[in-house]
Amino acid sequence: MAWYRRFTNLFRSDRHSSELDREMGFHLSERADDLVAAGMPEVEARHEARRRFGNRSVMKERTRDVDVVAWFDALFADIRHAARALRANRGFAIVAVLSLGLGIGANTAIFSLINTVMLKSLPVRHPETLLKVTTGKKGGDYFTNPIWEELRGHPELYAGAFAYSQSRFDLAQGGEVRSVDAEWVSGDYFATLGVPAMLGRTITREDDVRGCPAVVVLSWGLWQNEFGGAQSAIGKTLMVNSHPFTVVGVVDRAFSGMEVGRQTQLYAPICAAPTNGGIPTALDERALWWLSIVIRPAAGATVAQTGARLAALTPGVMAATLPLNWSTEDKASYLKRPLVVAPAANGFSDLRVEYAGALRVLMVVVALVLLIACANVANLLLARATVRQHEAAIRLALGAGRGRLIRLMLTEAMLLSLCGAALGVLFATWGARLLMGFLTEGDDGTWLNLALDRRVLAFTMVTAVTSGVLFGLAPAWRSAQADPQAALKAQGRSVVGRSRRGIGWALVAGQVALSFVLLTSAGLLLNSFRNLSTTHAGFQRSGVLLVNTELSDTSVAIPSVILERLRALPGVRSAAFSTMTPLGGSGEFGVVAVDGTPSTVRTGIQSAINHISANYFTTIGTRVLRGRDVSPADDATSPLVALVSESLARELFGATDPIGKRLRGRTPTEVIGVVEDSRFSSLRDSTGGMVYMPAAQDPRPVTDFTLELRSDVPPASLITGVKSIMPSISPTASLEFTTLSDQVARSLSRDRLLAILATFFGGLALLLALIGLYGTMSYNVARRKNEIGIRIALGAARERLIRMVIGEVGVVVLAGLGVGALLALVATRLVASFLFGLSASDPLTWVGSAGVLLGVALLAGVAPAWRAARMNPMTALREE
Amino acid sequence: MTRRQKNDILQGTLALLVLKTLAACGAMHGYAITAHIQSASSDLLRVEEGSLYPALHRMEQDGWVRAEWGTTEKNRQARYYTLTAAGRRQLAREQESWARLTDGVQRVLRYA
Repeated sequence: MAWYRRFTNLFRSDRHSSELDREMGFHLSERADDLVAAGMPEVEARHEARRRFGNRSVMKERTRDVDVVAWFDALFADIRHAARALRANRGFAIVAVLSLGLGIGANTAIFSLINTVMLKSLPVRHPETLLKVTTGKKGGDYFTNPIWEELRGHPELYAGAFAYSQSRFDLAQGGEVRSVDAEWVSGDYFATLGVPAMLGRTITREDDVRGCPAVVVLSWGLWQNEFGGAQSAIGKTLMVNSHPFTVVGVVDRAFSGMEVGRQTQLYAPICAAPTNGGIPTALDERALWWLSIVIRPAAGATVAQTGARLAALTPGVMAATLPLNWSTEDKASYLKRPLVVAPAANGFSDLRVEYAGALRVLMVVVALVLLIACANVANLLLARATVRQHEAAIRLALGAGRGRLIRLMLTEAMLLSLCGAALGVLFATWGARLLMGFLTEGDDGTWLNLALDRRVLAFTMVTAVTSGVLFGLAPAWRSAQADPQAALKAQGRSVVGRSRRGIGWALVAGQVALSFVLLTSAGLLLNSFRNLSTTHAGFQRSGVLLVNTELSDTSVAIPSVILERLRALPGVRSAAFSTMTPLGGSGEFGVVAVDGTPSTVRTGIQSAINHISANYFTTIGTRVLRGRDVSPADDATSPLVALVSESLARELFGATDPIGKRLRGRTPTEVIGVVEDSRFSSLRDSTGGMVYMPAAQDPRPVTDFTLELRSDVPPASLITGVKSIMPSISPTASLEFTTLSDQVARSLSRDRLLAILATFFGGLALLLALIGLYGTMSYNVARRKNEIGIRIALGAARERLIRMVIGEVGVVVLAGLGVGALLALVATRLVASFLFGLSASDPLTWVGSAGVLLGVALLAGVAPAWRAARMNPMTALREE
Repeated sequence: MTRRQKNDILQGTLALLVLKTLAACGAMHGYAITAHIQSASSDLLRVEEGSLYPALHRMEQDGWVRAEWGTTEKNRQARYYTLTAAGRRQLAREQESWARLTDGVQRVLRYA
């Protein structure tokens, strides 16, 4: 009978049993009628009818579905029996549950991260129908405001549409910044998403018109922090980016913006951006890609139809928004850009782009760890099954079915894995928070809602049940194979033949193989991270304080005044400023060319442009290879000069000496020096072409720059000094402090996450494999006590015994290593794209992992081998 | 221990008898099935009444019979059972295996 029948029967048992009552009642009355017709008095007839029918309630039980009751009784009996068996063998139960808990916990933790970063839908109305506009697979997700306005003008395309731009707003008015995540949003943002205001109103279409007043909608959290959750917040003024914004509402608490990994605190209309701290030309600039566009298709339109409609509109949209001052080639490629739609149900996320690959690798890693843990538990259960062979044989002899016996063993396995899952959920909630620490390093505002939801718990359950079956099946099968006669004849002596023992060794070999895969991958990632951390990136990362500074005062002299005062601070060795810092995440780019080349042809080279003060190179630690550094004399009145990076110099001038050569420009710029390449966008990127120009020669006033202070004392200790100086020079300047080494570390957070976690899990795998090896060997030695005793009694040398035991484990480990090497060939390809400075087949790492494994195996083998050699033959033989 | 009488139905043949009865007479309630088996076998076979209903319900769950409430001529509520297509197939199978069994038993009795 199908199992679901049993369940449905169980639940409808009330109705069912009243039906049965009626049916049996009918039968009894019919029988009584017949008996009366045959001449029996009525009362007697009723008794006789009942007597013939038999015991009514027993029948009812049997009728209601004999199987259900028996099945559940047996299940509960099995569970009770399994719980008792585990309690009786506490050491075994603790080791098994602990290793399963670690395995399942690791899987749950990584999966809950994957769930949050990649799978969860936004808490908005019908997230599944939301589509984002992109420029094809390789294209970006960002658009100009003119493109957005063009698209908005085609209402046949959508039932709702909005654009938004992720930003950071500064709530402090001068001094150290207090930045919060914010979004510039178009008028239909909240209406399209279906996100209501919990107080006041949201931003509406009426707010989003050119020249609009600065209004702002708060998140629940900001409302609590800034206004103490007071109703009177509506209509109040909040200073944002040093501009007054009127608070119009508080958004629903569950909503935290479109960006997964950020907790948006403020929402302001796009139209307010130019005049309130955004980019002044943002609304009309045709080459400023800052908006993400999301649409909800028109009612009844499929994704494909919407995509087709958008494709039909695209040429018109692109033609209408063509950047006018671009070169012919650029214009042609602009017109060819496609606009396509993609699902946007789980929002946008830079975090996802950055971490998706790493999280996938980690998921594989933790799955392997769980497999190793399963192998361990399977091995323990196998050993127990052998010990309990006698018990199994008795059960079989008394008439238990083999299926029933398998079920009993599987129930025990399930109980173990469910306990493991419960422990795993505990580990996971704690581990996920730890993981979050890696992702949110340096308090850059990364925020993830890691609450365990139904999907994560379902995942944990499936993982637990799968692993239960995985490690429970082989031992269950073995105990059902028991031959009652042989087992009973053996009187409790072990009766396991050679082939049976093979499963245990195969499991251990498998563990060794998987551990080798994990160790090699971990070794590669760790070495790669060490390479990244120690690579010479063209600057000295330690001992430098960075102060990101934004002046609202445009007086040109201020930066040099600030530098002068900072140099006087105790502990400061040198001070400088620049518009770009290594790995600072932003920059200015332009085309650089040798003077004299015609500007109509593409003769230039795309390069980053850094505007620097004097002493920049000494402060940041970049060597000037040839020529001279920028000096204070290079100012607005002197001829234009520049330094170029080594690789750019080679590209522009080939082998000839660049010093004294000129760069193309309205006024040609003389190259006065060459500096070593330094990595600005990423430590992996060595193609750092860079032009350095004296900031004093820039015709635009420098208001947005980073101060660099190199000091002999810990850089963070300079912060108070800087804070005390700044108000007297420019009280409205906003300051953000970090150190160069922190900035470098932040750029490596993904690599650190991978390296640390892979190493941690590699170590865990090693530990589990060690336990597995040790357990199997000890068990084997104990099992062969008799044989070893005879060998000793017959005069076998103890060294030989040790060699025999170690040799046995050696064969298994070598076999495991062989299989592991084959697996690792495939697996290391997965991590190859994360490696820096070494290849996936790095011989040192491979040999090192093999060495570590062999060492651990030896360690696991020594104690049991010693025990075998020290065995007293008399006691060993007497025990039999 | 129950007293085993000669006319108790051989274990496993109850289903065959019930299926055959339903195939021959159409919709019937439990009591009528008991009565029919008894009279058709000229009182040689007697259904153990208590085991009929468990059997009927199991057959219903296996999809061999369908049950519906109806009213008898004496205006009593009774559960009427009818054969399903699956039940018809099952009947064919059981009839065949019964034939094989009796044939085999016959042969043994003849030669032994």
